[in-house]
Amino acid sequence: MVQDGIEQKDWTAPKHPPHVPIWKLSIYARINGVSGLWSTCLMVLLGAIALSSVFLSADPKGDISITSLKVFQGKAKRYPYKKQEFGFVNFNITADLTPLFNWNTKQLFLYLEAEYTNAQGVKNDVVLWDRIVRRKEDAVINFSGKNKYKFRELSKTFKKVTPAHYALKYNVMPYVGMLTYGEAARTTEAIEFPEAQESMS
Amino acid sequence: MTYLQDLVEGKIDFHGQKIADTITRVVLIASSVIAFILGFAMRSLSVTFTIFGVSTLAVCLLVLPPWPIYNQHPVKWLPVQEDSSSKQTH
Repeated sequence: MVQDGIEQKDWTAPKHPPHVPIWKLSIYARINGVSGLWSTCLMVLLGAIALSSVFLSADPKGDISITSLKVFQGKAKRYPYKKQEFGFVNFNITADLTPLFNWNTKQLFLYLEAEYTNAQGVKNDVVLWDRIVRRKEDAVINFSGKNKYKFRELSKTFKKVTPAHYALKYNVMPYVGMLTYGEAARTTEAIEFPEAQESMS
Repeated sequence: MTYLQDLVEGKIDFHGQKIADTITRVVLIASSVIAFILGFAMRSLSVTFTIFGVSTLAVCLLVLPPWPIYNQHPVKWLPVQEDSSSKQTH
């Protein structure tokens, strides 16, 4: 059938507009479209935030000084029949860690570690003290005190142990992204363990 | 029943679909870029996620319901043609 020079197909139009086939025009198609692009945008946004803290990383330095280190013989509560040596460390730390607080920093975990190699040749890192810093205002650290956690050697004695370095280290915990490690302060020279003294009590 | 189904399905026409797609794309991408930049500038992740969340809700409100703008070019169906062949067989 030729009409006005244009060939027209001789077909019968449906009597009712099709209901189901034009699915793309319904609200479900729009929900699908919005949520698909939304999740992509969210992932890209989170990725960008995580990546931004890589470029915002800081490396603040502070000071640490060990004012006294004593070793006493004693017994641990858990092992009342085992005589072992306990280290008692007094230290000062000053550090301004505010540069570590960028827009993606949730909190900081600070810890003081003693690093030495024991008589068996095993390298030990012992955590003596820690602190969680939740706010930027609290990130200026000015602390002097003694070890919070018991300082003991697995082999019961600090004899023949190499002199120890003491270091203030931190973890930066972000809202989005990777946990990062860092070191804020370290003793300039290793400190030797003194002879163990008899227990005071 | 058909009325209720139409109300739930919220049909729009082909032109409306194109407009809705464009709005979704532009607003979502722009809002995530703006959210990142503003949050970075104000050093606050809550700013970022507030902007992103509010604009997500705005997109849903703009695009999901079958607003009249999306139904300005309804599909025109061909008129029902008398079928000549069916008459012959009868």
